[in-house]
Amino acid sequence: MQSANVLLKKIVRSSVLPFAAQHGMKKDLFPLSRALSLSLCMKQDNSCNPSEKLDLDAWKKVMKSGLQEEVAETVSERQELSSLAAAREILDMWRLAGRAVPENISEEQLQTFIECPSKSAKKKYLKYLHLKELKKKSDKRKMEKKRERRLEAQEQASKTGETKRSSFLCMWSNTMDKAYNWRAAQSMIFGQPLVFDMSYEKDMSVQEVAYTVRQLVLSEGCNRKSVDPFHIHFCNFKDSSLYQKEFIKHYQEAWNKLLITVTDQCYTDLFPKDKLVYLTADSPKVMKTFDHNKIYIVGSMVDRSIKTGVSLARAKRLGLETAALPLEKYLLWNTGAKNLTLDQMMHILLTLKDTGDWKKALEFVPKRKYSAFVNEPVHELKKTLNLISALKLGKRQEQVRKPFAKNYSKKLKQE
Amino acid sequence: IQPPEKPLQAEEWNRLKESFRSPEVFEEVMFNSMVRCNSPIDVAKSLLTHVAKSNGDIAYNLLVKYLALCVHQGQVSEIRDVYDIMKIRFKSFDSGAYNLFIRGLCNSDEWRMALTLLEEVKKIMVPSRTNYESCIKAASRHQEMNLAFQLYHEMLAKDLVPSFDILQALFDFSRGMEGAELQKELFGILLYLRENQMYPHKTFMWSIKLWFESIPGGHWRGHLTNIKNSGQCPVCNHQLEDSNLTEEEYSNLRERIIRDVIHGTDTFRKTSPQEFEAFQTFVENRLPFDIVIDGLNVSHIKPRKMQCENLFDAVNCLAKENTRLLVLGRKHMLVNSSNWKREIMKEMQNKADFFFAENISEDDAFLLYATLQSGKHCKFVTRDFLRDHKACLSDSLTRHLFRKWQRGHQISNKMFFSVFIQQPAFRYDCVVQTTGDTWHIPYKDAFEEKYSYQVPRKWLCIQQKR
Repeated sequence: MQSANVLLKKIVRSSVLPFAAQHGMKKDLFPLSRALSLSLCMKQDNSCNPSEKLDLDAWKKVMKSGLQEEVAETVSERQELSSLAAAREILDMWRLAGRAVPENISEEQLQTFIECPSKSAKKKYLKYLHLKELKKKSDKRKMEKKRERRLEAQEQASKTGETKRSSFLCMWSNTMDKAYNWRAAQSMIFGQPLVFDMSYEKDMSVQEVAYTVRQLVLSEGCNRKSVDPFHIHFCNFKDSSLYQKEFIKHYQEAWNKLLITVTDQCYTDLFPKDKLVYLTADSPKVMKTFDHNKIYIVGSMVDRSIKTGVSLARAKRLGLETAALPLEKYLLWNTGAKNLTLDQMMHILLTLKDTGDWKKALEFVPKRKYSAFVNEPVHELKKTLNLISALKLGKRQEQVRKPFAKNYSKKLKQE
Repeated sequence: IQPPEKPLQAEEWNRLKESFRSPEVFEEVMFNSMVRCNSPIDVAKSLLTHVAKSNGDIAYNLLVKYLALCVHQGQVSEIRDVYDIMKIRFKSFDSGAYNLFIRGLCNSDEWRMALTLLEEVKKIMVPSRTNYESCIKAASRHQEMNLAFQLYHEMLAKDLVPSFDILQALFDFSRGMEGAELQKELFGILLYLRENQMYPHKTFMWSIKLWFESIPGGHWRGHLTNIKNSGQCPVCNHQLEDSNLTEEEYSNLRERIIRDVIHGTDTFRKTSPQEFEAFQTFVENRLPFDIVIDGLNVSHIKPRKMQCENLFDAVNCLAKENTRLLVLGRKHMLVNSSNWKREIMKEMQNKADFFFAENISEDDAFLLYATLQSGKHCKFVTRDFLRDHKACLSDSLTRHLFRKWQRGHQISNKMFFSVFIQQPAFRYDCVVQTTGDTWHIPYKDAFEEKYSYQVPRKWLCIQQKR
């Protein structure tokens, strides 16, 4: 009975359409495709439905039934939503539609979401939150599995009743910390200074500052654990800057106990100018050897939008010597920017300091960025590679360079 | 997986689902492939029925996918039904569902409903360009031009860039209609094209032409033509606007180049204050130049030749009849090397003024400064498109000015058989333009044929004959 009703409704609707199509508009302007699709739809409606014993619109009934009570409620709720609630609603719908949206979102994150300047920024931010959430979840799952396994192992151990004996108390990490701190303290008195220039806050987005601080924390960690640490200086460090906020987030109370020098002074005030070398990928000069008497400066900047020449400009302004790592010379570069992360720089500088071996030091350049390490200068190698490819293509690439003096004199004669 | 061709019974769906690798997502995957294969909606309906009967509910994303199928096939009554159902179940929809509803309804006689949906979208976010496109097209198709233009202005106010399709629809459906207001609106679109330096493609150009010719009592006639290098239209003998900037635009551009390109966030990034000052005094003392040459760029024209030889050719070729040349280079050019011979450099310095910047400075910025400082007659030579410098300019208006100025003043050269052929700078400005009783509209042949630095050579000339 009901299916017949639906069918009737359909016929009434679809028969109205062609009438309206003819009515009141210019036929030649009417797109052909629409007329076609309409007739197609009508044909289908008529031919398929009656022959099927299957009730194709049964789903509509299911969806409509038992919902009448909810309707009144939703209607009254629709009015007057705060912007936060509206945003939450949008997110809910996006989640239902299967987009990359986090399941839980805090008020603060929601506010950031609302303040995103464009649709794509919003999408990106949500995807970031979504991935973060997924990562957290999988970490949690792994932790739980680990705990289970540990409990199992403990049970097994208690069953067999074995206990390990050793002459040391199990205090490894604590003793190691002490040893590291001792070395770091020594480096603060005798060590070679390494300066991180913290004056790039205005050149970075909030996200980039956060990344910078994360990289600095990693650098500080690997410096502390090295055999002969640098004496790290954070120069141009302003109190209550974004940098500081992020550092405190990472280190918490340990921030004030770090064995490094943090100062708002510039490196030019602390050290003689002729000893300073600013390391920047834009520098025209290439570093040949690591000099133990120089003080190297690294700009604390994560630069995801490739702002060329920012740190070079700073060095130029202060009249400092600059240098770039000899990446081109030793590596057959593949892809990626030549600017490395701060912790990679730290690893490279520490290795250079200890061994002076470029090959070992440049191991820390990400593998995806280069295809091979070379001993002979890269441009020689490239020449041979070009030659090989030219031969393969069967082109004779002659480097016919006419003796210029002859040419030149000819031209002079002509005039 | 391949969707079935006919509606299936519940058991059959069950069997299919069990044979599927991951049964949890079976319905979703099946719907995706239905949308891809454009299956008959009855098949989709039978799956929905199956889902509804076994779960007592249908997930939102399945409904949206079914909706996509309906919209694609223009099943208007189904779209209405899905809308009714979804309206009951959900407070609001996601943007994808709104897009589908608006698109689906706009192609039907229920297009007015799409307008109410558009209002709903506006409450929660900025509607997309395609949302407006559907509604504007629907309104103009039903001869509601006022409404169409209202929507058009609304989207402009929201900083959405209208597609050519929208603009073309507005022209198409206004054909033969009277009304001064309407005419003003359509002229407004042409001026929008002018301001944003947009060039219509061929079919759009035809719509414009036909509209002009259909204006009752307008006596407009359109002709397709090519404009001569002199800038004169062969049809109506009208002289096109020349490519020179106005005094105000010119000084504006000059200031912005100094502020945004040379100084930028930090003068030290491209040069240094001392160097720039030195260059400024150098230029002031020798003004005005006729041609400024980017020495390093020109020296790489022929890779087989020595670099200073290339530059020497260029300078010889351009140094005629008292033209004052300025060549910009870097200091390393002065060091005697295999590519830069000292005697030749000396020889050249007799014919032209040279300025050598630091090796790590950017000479392009100096090129722009020297050319702009010399005045409107001054041209510059480089193959560089100067895109990175254009990008430094902060607003689009100045960027357009820069492009226009560049078109009029850049000489890019090609070397054929050691003959120095110059591609002349354009003398006329390539934008939509009008004098009141004539319109000249440049157009491109295909929809996406033009590189952004190229300008079309074909024009539509429209003139009014009384």
